[in-house]
Amino acid sequence: MNAFSGFGPAIAAGRSGHGAVSMALASGRVQLVNIRQESLTLARWRVLWIALGFAFVALLALVRIAYLGASDHGARGTSLEEALLPPRGEIADRNGVPLARAFPAYALWFNPTALGEDGTPLVSEPEEVAARLKAIFPDLDEKRVAAQFAAGKQGYIRRRVLPEEANRVQEIGELALEMPMENDRHYPQGSMAAHVLGYVAADGKGRVGMEQVLDKHLSDPNTRGTPVSLSIDSRVQGALEDELRRGMKLVQAQGGAGIVLDVDTGEVLALASLPEFDPNKIDARGQKLMFNRVTNQVYELGSTFKPLSVAAAIDAGVVRNLGRRWDASPVKVGRFSIKDSHSMGADLNVVEALIHSSNTVTARVADELGPERMRRTMIDLGMNERPYIELPAKGFPIWPGEKWPRLRSMTVGYGHGIAVTPLHLASAYAAMVNGGIWRPATLKKLGPGEAPKGRRVFKASTSSRMRQLLRAIAVYGTGKNADAPGYRVGGKTGSAEKPGGSAGYRKTALVSTFAAAFPMDRPRYVVIAMLDEPRGTLASSYQRTAAWNAAPIVGRLVPRIGPLIGVRPDDTRDVDITDLKPLIPEANK
Amino acid sequence: MSGIVPAPIARQPWQMLFPLFTLIGFGALVLFSAAAGSWDPYASSHLLRFGVFLVMAIVLSLFPRDFIQFMALPVYVVVLLMLLAVEAIGFVGGGSQRWLNLGFMQLQPSELMKPAVVLILARYYASLPVGMIPTWSALIAPGAMILTPVALVLLQPDLGTSLAIVFGGAMVMFAAGLPLRWFVGAAAAGAVLAPVAFFFGLQPYQQKRVFTFLDPESDPLGDGYHITQSKIAIGSGGFSGKGFNEGSQSHLNYLPEPHTDFIFATMAEEWGFIGGLVVLGAFAMILRWGLAVARASTDRFGKLVALGLTATIFFYVAINLMMVMGLAPVVGIPLPFMSHGGSSMLTNMLCIGGLMMVNRWNQTAPRTGLIR
Repeated sequence: MNAFSGFGPAIAAGRSGHGAVSMALASGRVQLVNIRQESLTLARWRVLWIALGFAFVALLALVRIAYLGASDHGARGTSLEEALLPPRGEIADRNGVPLARAFPAYALWFNPTALGEDGTPLVSEPEEVAARLKAIFPDLDEKRVAAQFAAGKQGYIRRRVLPEEANRVQEIGELALEMPMENDRHYPQGSMAAHVLGYVAADGKGRVGMEQVLDKHLSDPNTRGTPVSLSIDSRVQGALEDELRRGMKLVQAQGGAGIVLDVDTGEVLALASLPEFDPNKIDARGQKLMFNRVTNQVYELGSTFKPLSVAAAIDAGVVRNLGRRWDASPVKVGRFSIKDSHSMGADLNVVEALIHSSNTVTARVADELGPERMRRTMIDLGMNERPYIELPAKGFPIWPGEKWPRLRSMTVGYGHGIAVTPLHLASAYAAMVNGGIWRPATLKKLGPGEAPKGRRVFKASTSSRMRQLLRAIAVYGTGKNADAPGYRVGGKTGSAEKPGGSAGYRKTALVSTFAAAFPMDRPRYVVIAMLDEPRGTLASSYQRTAAWNAAPIVGRLVPRIGPLIGVRPDDTRDVDITDLKPLIPEANK
Repeated sequence: MSGIVPAPIARQPWQMLFPLFTLIGFGALVLFSAAAGSWDPYASSHLLRFGVFLVMAIVLSLFPRDFIQFMALPVYVVVLLMLLAVEAIGFVGGGSQRWLNLGFMQLQPSELMKPAVVLILARYYASLPVGMIPTWSALIAPGAMILTPVALVLLQPDLGTSLAIVFGGAMVMFAAGLPLRWFVGAAAAGAVLAPVAFFFGLQPYQQKRVFTFLDPESDPLGDGYHITQSKIAIGSGGFSGKGFNEGSQSHLNYLPEPHTDFIFATMAEEWGFIGGLVVLGAFAMILRWGLAVARASTDRFGKLVALGLTATIFFYVAINLMMVMGLAPVVGIPLPFMSHGGSSMLTNMLCIGGLMMVNRWNQTAPRTGLIR
């Protein structure tokens, strides 16, 4: 077609010789051809423009479909199924006992525009309505409510009303009195396991405990239909809190912490931090008590570390002969001197040292083990990182760092110069008695075979030796008050002075701990009871050490929880410690 | 290909027919699902109508050019008279009237007016000397040809169809080569007059639709219901859809008109983004073929007819898709070849038949080097 436009003038030029008339004719034809040509080109361009317009709309549609599909803007809808679900998922204990559930409740709200924008908000006089409300709620501030009605200010009159009260308010017949349904979180067990559960704040989000951890799971319509099972056993939790509270009050301690841990799975059956708060009613006092002593506070746990050091030494071959006598005189390292609280003789074997809780012998054992191997064991037991548990508040240990001097391994050997949470201690004790496997603690119920593989810290032979030693402490040593008949309890006391004061430690402020496991012939559970700053009272024979306040808590707790969690009292069974008996003078009296 | 397939079959415009059959078949599947997994009442009649109208289109494509050029004016006048008849019957019967009952089917003359306007305008511009295109005579008579039926359709009142007639006519005028400044001027005037027309010309229910379009979330359960539910349906389809017969929006009657105006939403919920791509792709192929026919046509009449008919189909597709996606107000325009409905199928198959006819003219009168 384009070739033709070139021909036009050429043809015309060829005929130009025939005179003026034909010349004019030719130029007229050329013009006509040009106009036609132009109009055709124009038409083609116009069609192209239309095609471009079509393509643009197609592109627009494509982008829009992709946008609608990708954004949930279009897809959000409330389905009937979703409306039938609880507004927030339930939390239950390992046996299905509800610990937290959604609870629809009614509030009483004054809406001044219920009868329309103009005119009075109430049908009757404000004073009269206030008086009728007072008849339903005797504690109502009648004057304040009447003033609120008169001022036409919207707002809550009461945050919660009972269904019966709601019916009576309805009978007043004021449209401005609205009873909107609000969602409450109800904790049927009251303050029990408060630190594990946490609470739900006014914004509908979980705080502090598993409410915060599981917030997404509990609010997601796909998952909130089925309750979440925690590893907690509410019966064990109740008993632990009860005994811990009793023990705490007897010695007027500032606080208490307790934990019951399954040694084979890492499941936490009970976890208590006292004083507790009430998740049903969060006030200023409750806010102050949300600190979790079990997972968030780090303590120098003192003598409870001694069995760990001895285990490390046995495992490393440093202690091969339990009958070996160790020098029990004060240890001098540089300007420091490590002494015992009272003299126990010139020399002791390891068994005696544990039974009487000798600092000097433990320090010498740790010294022989050496800083590197001591540090390695502590790392294997997870003492250099935050404890493993789902809770959001986890304290970081005071960890001595990379290079340990000689003195450091000695002090760590009897639980000083390192500060960890009671949960760290519980996991370490579980590894010590369960055959040597360390596992992370969990608050979620584990099904059969779901227990984590864990990591080996001690040899199985070391673990069985430690069972004997812990049992011996409970039978002959400082743990006697924890030896519940028939439950084969084994454990170690620890009474550490709290840091502070001019001398570095405060002589009168102690942290008393008893770390135990039972039954020692086949350990199932680790129990830790800890009291913060106990006092010497009549109940503790005016003693502040763990043997007199923390150990009795375990001694009373184990018989309460044992039968519930599969440990029956049995006088005919026990871990065999006859090979240790010759080494223990008390056993031969 | 030419060796095996007989020439009469190979000659057919398969690049259009294949996507057309795809759309019809896909539409039947969606209608099957919209009727809760049943061929009755939608899918079977959909296929039956297509069969009837396909025969009609093939017959239409056999008409010679001169006959069509001769018939353009009579057809236009007859359809205009039918529109007047609808008005008269409506006036007598009271209320809004859009149909003529022919006994065997309800005929909507306003639908027939869309191709008729394209035909008469193409006839007019084809006979207008090229030099007169930029003059007023190129505007006045066609303007009257468009506005007379539009005024009648607006009286029904049917905003969507009148817009479709204006669009088809304007596209023919644009392609005929009317000066660009006229279109720009008309667009500017439209922008100024639109608010005036909106407040004084539209019925209250139409005004409400526009408000709803601008802010559907303002009343998602009331006036914004159509748009909101449609967007939920399209959005919930995701990439590959919920699966055939699994669309909850349509099956649980959340989506209004799942078988007519909102069939795309029904489809997108079950077939997802992929289904949307298939539908858009099929329409793109059909429209591209229409434009190619227009380009290949060597005479003005054929070119303008092909272009106007393509534009008419395009208008249906574009407005319907934008409506269900919340990009345009809700105007009752069905999706060609997929929606259930006789009148829309009739119009669109008339357009297809017309395009096939121009295509045949192109083939039987191959390009000569010279301009006719």
